Amino acid sequence: MQLFGQILVNGILLGGLYGLMGLGMGLVWGVLKIVNLAHGALIMLGGYALYFLYTKAGVDPFLGLPLAMLAMFVLGYLLQTLLLNLIVRSAQLNTLLLTFGLDVVFVYLAQLLFTADFRTINPPYAGKNVSLSGVTVPYAQLGAFGVAVLLAALLYLVLDKTRTGRAVRATAQNLVAARLYGVNPKRIYAITFGTGAALAGAAGGLYGIVSQITPYIGVTLTAKSFVIAILGGLDKPLGVIGGGLVLGIAEAMAALYLDPTYTDIISFGLLVLVLVARPAQLLGRA
Amino acid sequence: MGSTKLAVLALALALSGAASGQEKKITLGAAVQLTGRLANTGRYYGDGYQITVDRINQKGGVTVGGTKYQLALRIYDSQSDTNLGVRQYVQLLTQDKVNFLLGPFSSNDALDDSSVAEKYQVPMVQGGGASTQIFSRGYKYVFGTLPPADDYFSSTIKMMGKIDPKPKTVALVAADDSFDVSVANGTRKLLKEAGLELVVDKQFRENNADFSSILSLVKSKGPDVILWAGHEGEALNFIRQAKSLDVNPKLLYSFTVGVPTADFRKALGKDAEYAFGMTPWLPEKELKDDWFGDAEQFAKEYQARFNYPPDYHAASAAADVETFAKAVAAAGTLDPKKVRDEIAKVDFQSLYGHVKFQPNGQISLPQTVIQIQDGKVVPIFAEDFIGKPRYPIPPWSKR
Repeated sequence: MQLFGQILVNGILLGGLYGLMGLGMGLVWGVLKIVNLAHGALIMLGGYALYFLYTKAGVDPFLGLPLAMLAMFVLGYLLQTLLLNLIVRSAQLNTLLLTFGLDVVFVYLAQLLFTADFRTINPPYAGKNVSLSGVTVPYAQLGAFGVAVLLAALLYLVLDKTRTGRAVRATAQNLVAARLYGVNPKRIYAITFGTGAALAGAAGGLYGIVSQITPYIGVTLTAKSFVIAILGGLDKPLGVIGGGLVLGIAEAMAALYLDPTYTDIISFGLLVLVLVARPAQLLGRA
Repeated sequence: MGSTKLAVLALALALSGAASGQEKKITLGAAVQLTGRLANTGRYYGDGYQITVDRINQKGGVTVGGTKYQLALRIYDSQSDTNLGVRQYVQLLTQDKVNFLLGPFSSNDALDDSSVAEKYQVPMVQGGGASTQIFSRGYKYVFGTLPPADDYFSSTIKMMGKIDPKPKTVALVAADDSFDVSVANGTRKLLKEAGLELVVDKQFRENNADFSSILSLVKSKGPDVILWAGHEGEALNFIRQAKSLDVNPKLLYSFTVGVPTADFRKALGKDAEYAFGMTPWLPEKELKDDWFGDAEQFAKEYQARFNYPPDYHAASAAADVETFAKAVAAAGTLDPKKVRDEIAKVDFQSLYGHVKFQPNGQISLPQTVIQIQDGKVVPIFAEDFIGKPRYPIPPWSKR
């Protein structure tokens, strides 16, 4: 029973971080209808940003997170303004091609600039933990979980309560109507993609605290983010966190009670199940 | 004017003729992971081959049947994609017409790539695949300079029989790729022979990032020893998550990879301390070499040129090139079949160790048990203790 409790906690903590990874992907997908294949690469770049902030400038990782997010927002904003806006209304294949190309460029630039060495963001408290009735709760993972939930809640509030947020949702729901009401879609798209990149950056930084960063972590994380975004629903931030939790817990349980080699079967099996049961999810109108 | 042009042309022709006459070349080809998720270890092969080829050429090349030859390298980047690597090996043989083949990193890749060598009957000496699967297929053209994966933990288990307090229970955690499956199979057998009880035996998916479930299970069983087999990135995650979940073996833990590697220790910092591991190679003066002098000098030159220290992968790569230099000279011809027969017979001392292949094509080298102490790799146990282990390792809460 104690072991079960521990696995559940492990799964929940991991799931929070998963949710944060899916958040940016879901947002961009929901509003821009772009399946961002460079999402994992953005996560990776965010990880490096925080790594260098911590190792070179000595900024505490959790305090440095907003800075890393800001840098990633600027990158995302520029990418959308200069590149993606050119093709955002063209066939889906074009956006897939462009984001795939960006992924390749980012990954190889990262290897050229940062080498393939393993990096970890390892502040003194990274391995510390607290034991609650036999269940070990690591501080860093708990912090990452907290940040993930906080960011999801913030995103929810921004989308729901602010003028810009409403413009984002309006653009997603009905582009023509939004334009008639004076929304500038290009600007909204840039803000949305920038926000997606910032969220990816936050996820990458936290990933570096609990795991590690290399130029190549992105590929599997893109795939995971894809699954999570679909599980959670594309434009519902809290739903995406829920999707992350489902995946995290399912993987943790499967690793113990089935076999650790089954984790990928679980994540992609869940994806297939959702698509069979609620195909509308993929169309962004769930 | 016309005659001047002609003269220049004639001179150029004469020069190029002379140059090509001088430049008798033996080309060695390989597809190595210079980018992609295995790039971190793949670079040892690219760099290890290059420095050895350059050194052999600098020392006059290889004499084959009275003629001097220079060595040349043709390396493709397989981008850590096994299928791409196989295609590149086919290209090396069919289009580039290289003379002989060197290997890629990792057993999974060597397993597939060596089939190309066997099909075209061109010898491959590879220093990156240790799985016994590679050598159990009756292939004649594949040779390996990494010791058998089955035996990776044998010196460690021998040490466990002689150390006080003596471990009784073991948790075995291994990845599901060719190398680690081979390690796990061999280790189960060795543990049984040594009378040790296996309390956890879990396989994980290659490239796995989350070990929390396995670690929690290990914690609930409280084994004396954790033996772990996988790739470096996974070892890194395992140790970091063991710390954050406060999972401690009662006596020791040991890892097949990572411990001898500099950037692994750097990435973990203090958390790397006390980890046991193994290596078939250490940069020691006693390992004499025809081209580099000795292993220590090799390590120095390697560090100076590539800006990171070599580990056993790089030394194994160097031994592969040297094997060809020896075998081709002995064969006195570039005929692949004759060179293959000479490789099977080589018997020489190198910076990597004694190179001599068993009938199945694989080398046999003992693994020295090592431990990270104060950020350095300290040799602990070969046939007997050669260093003082920090044992039992302290729990995370007391570090």
